Amino acid sequence: MTTLRAAREVFGFFGRLAWKTGKTRVFALLGLVPVALAVIVRILSHGRTGDMAAVFTEILMVLVLQFYIVILALFYGTSIAAEETENRTLAYLITRPVPKPAIVLGKYAAYCALMFGMVAACLVPSYFVLNAGRLGDLAVTRAFLIDLGVLGLGILAYTAFFTFLGTWLKRAIIVGLIFGFGWENIIQYFPGSTQKFSVVHYLKSLLPYKPVTGGGGRGVALLLFRLEPTPPLAAVLMLAAIAAGFLALACWLFRRKEFLPEE
Amino acid sequence: MSAIIAAAHLSKWYGNVLGLNDVSLEIEDGITGLLGPNGAGKSTFMKLVTGQLKPNIGAVTVRGRPVWNDPAIFPEIGFCPEHDVFYEDMTGREFVAGLLRFYGYTQAEIRQRTARALDLVELTADQDRLIRGYSRGMRQRIKFAQAVAHDPGIIILDEPLSGLDPLGKRKLIRLIKEFRTQGRTVLVSSHVLPEIEALTSRIVLIHQGKILAQGDISSIRKLIDSHPHQISVRSSDPRALAARFVADASVEKMTFAADGRTLVVETRDRDVFFGRLTGVVLEAGLAVDEISSPDDNLQAVFEYLVGK
Repeated sequence: MTTLRAAREVFGFFGRLAWKTGKTRVFALLGLVPVALAVIVRILSHGRTGDMAAVFTEILMVLVLQFYIVILALFYGTSIAAEETENRTLAYLITRPVPKPAIVLGKYAAYCALMFGMVAACLVPSYFVLNAGRLGDLAVTRAFLIDLGVLGLGILAYTAFFTFLGTWLKRAIIVGLIFGFGWENIIQYFPGSTQKFSVVHYLKSLLPYKPVTGGGGRGVALLLFRLEPTPPLAAVLMLAAIAAGFLALACWLFRRKEFLPEE
Repeated sequence: MSAIIAAAHLSKWYGNVLGLNDVSLEIEDGITGLLGPNGAGKSTFMKLVTGQLKPNIGAVTVRGRPVWNDPAIFPEIGFCPEHDVFYEDMTGREFVAGLLRFYGYTQAEIRQRTARALDLVELTADQDRLIRGYSRGMRQRIKFAQAVAHDPGIIILDEPLSGLDPLGKRKLIRLIKEFRTQGRTVLVSSHVLPEIEALTSRIVLIHQGKILAQGDISSIRKLIDSHPHQISVRSSDPRALAARFVADASVEKMTFAADGRTLVVETRDRDVFFGRLTGVVLEAGLAVDEISSPDDNLQAVFEYLVGK
């Protein structure tokens, strides 16, 4: 069986399984937070003219981009290899006629599809709630689709990096937390090209920031003012390279590595 | 007959712990029993044979091909792992069918093979229940089903009988024996001698990562019989019993246990001793409460063989 065909079969196997796990239920619930927030903002702003599109961008940038997709990618990405060894189920997979990299590729694809579904499920209702009056505006719809596309790229890049970490290290979650919520945030305050050593820099370069008018968004605006964006095409290519590079590394490592029992 | 599985000077260690030490072994068609106490190296050997581990020294081949990182060999191999682990959120049918996807079968073939495998282990009625709700015996059977669903020529079973009730054990033993008649190669591990004896007469004794003995079970029995056996007889008058055996050539040594009621006899010929014992007990009218042979314990057999 070719690696691609095998990866497709692994995708089918885990594509179904991933939706049924307790972890997915927990993260799906977490995805309701932005929706709830959108509803609350909408109710509170009733009768007032506020820039709902900017609130939506705020939710997207702060809750989804910098928190939700990072936490999803961290837990699903690091688990691609680790959950098989920790749960001792790896024997069921590596004693099959599938090349080992296909296991990583198939699970990665399955988990990315799942995460994208979860992100879309949290973002689409928020979008409808906050843009109820402008749903016919094609420019707004187009911008939203671009947002979704960028988040998809973010999922691919972050998950590939965390897949590599999970294949390489035993306690990848800790390193991943430090990277996702430490490095990725701190590096944004560094001027010049240093901030380009983060995934979030390229994602933000693709998402034009529209701060909320009034007082509410200033704190967040302050966190973002140092962004020195990379041109869109270069940012897309860089995110694709990050995803492909770390995924290739994870596959290479998974093929070579011997996963020894813990006892 | 050519070897289906061959290990040459195979060694494997986990950090400072030696898992397998210079094992050379050839396994042919039919059923071979891998017998050894817990931690002897049985699972390590099986993981090496199924390409889950890479040898530190030596080589292991299946049908002449090294197994490590060679997925092309796996349509030939079915593996039933020792641990009671599953994708718990799957049903039994999803589990078997899902793993069959990796063999390139069509959907119709997958359905057919899944149904056949589930029928084989009598889980058809429970196929749509989540595995997390299965009993220990059912879990053991579904694990077996996934190992044989693709009709492999070589079946590696790591402690397949553990956790099964006597009836379940008997059924699985019958199934495994059927595979032999179909010309397949079965390597089965256990730490329970009677389980292996029920399956095959060809056994490999493994202990502390080394092969102690291999061959027909009768030759292993002879090897074991060349060492004295301990037999404990708890009786109303152990000293009177001992007096009757003092002149008996089958007895090597006699001691009295601390409870004052048990005579511990060492003999090189169990059958002769037991034959004499019945007569003595009847002649002397002694009451015998219990006869036990600690040597039937596998660990004791291994201790004999390693010369402890």
